[in-house]
Amino acid sequence: MNDAKLVGIAQYATAKAPEQLCCLGLGSCVGVFLYDPSTKIGGVVHALLPRAPNGSILEAKYADTGIRLLQRRTVTDGAFEHRIIAKLTGGAQMFKDLNLKMGDIGRQNVLQSRRTLGELGISIVSEDVEGERGRSAYYSLGDGSVRVRKAFGSDIVI
Amino acid sequence: MDERDSEAALEMIKEFANIGAGNAATALAALMDVELVNEVTSARMLPLSDVAEWLGGEQQIVAGTYTQLCGDLKSGVLVIFPQDSAQALISHVSKEEADLSSLSRVQASALCEVGNICLCWYLVAVSRMIDTDLIPAAPCGAVDLLGAVLDIPLATLGVSVDRVIAVHTVFRGVERAFEGYFLLLPEKDTLGTIICKMGDQCR
Repeated sequence: MNDAKLVGIAQYATAKAPEQLCCLGLGSCVGVFLYDPSTKIGGVVHALLPRAPNGSILEAKYADTGIRLLQRRTVTDGAFEHRIIAKLTGGAQMFKDLNLKMGDIGRQNVLQSRRTLGELGISIVSEDVEGERGRSAYYSLGDGSVRVRKAFGSDIVI
Repeated sequence: MDERDSEAALEMIKEFANIGAGNAATALAALMDVELVNEVTSARMLPLSDVAEWLGGEQQIVAGTYTQLCGDLKSGVLVIFPQDSAQALISHVSKEEADLSSLSRVQASALCEVGNICLCWYLVAVSRMIDTDLIPAAPCGAVDLLGAVLDIPLATLGVSVDRVIAVHTVFRGVERAFEGYFLLLPEKDTLGTIICKMGDQCR
């Protein structure tokens, strides 16, 4: 896992087999993984908030614009648009007692990601979302698997 | 802010950090019934996006207590204990061996409260220095990956918060030492007000 490329908050990256990508410490953030199994090209976006305000230039910070950006870039890199599948992780509720104006950000991130993927016609093949624990995700482009490690938890592969 | 102003501001922040850490050490010592001395190893202003790296990376487990200020001054306030310090603290306070991965409700609540006590005593130092009441909202705690703990402050404050006041403190007891981080995450206007008022008080 040492050679996995780190994708930080509000960043995105594309890669192809046998490269690896990772997102560390996903709390209320979502990690959306796109993958074309035929070409083994894919990418991940590490989005902080659900919807971009008008005129935002940081596309990868928001789930709606970030997923669209990532889809365009994976297609540019050679993935077939209609073969792309998605996996989803993150969206936990870190401070459940906190009274926020915006409600549960994690849940909203997940809902927005599903909506945007739906609009793009990308199906979600597996996900591990919400809950109260942060996650780190390691993405292998070789087989499109995403290994999710929760704080104090064992790994699961989605 | 030009460089000279920001150097002066940093001096004032160090001053408040020392007072705040002293307060927090006294409170912790009373709570834990041990002798504690404190030393502030570093106090600085850094961009919100650099906080995770300064604290040692998103991947480590930490205990965090987070709240926001009520009133005119808008700011998030966060206290972070690294894993081993949090473990030692909660074991001492609850007088039983505690495991951060399986804290009971009472232990989790106690750990959040220890964070809250520290947080409030640092705030008192800021409050006195700027001669303004600072009232924190009810705190909430989490024990998780640092990156995950920082998500909520980043998501709720990211647009309006530019730079963060960050203090690292070591509390040294006879048997062991704890370390903790105090982070004040003020909105831009609030940071300006705080620094301006600190300057007035120093004059």
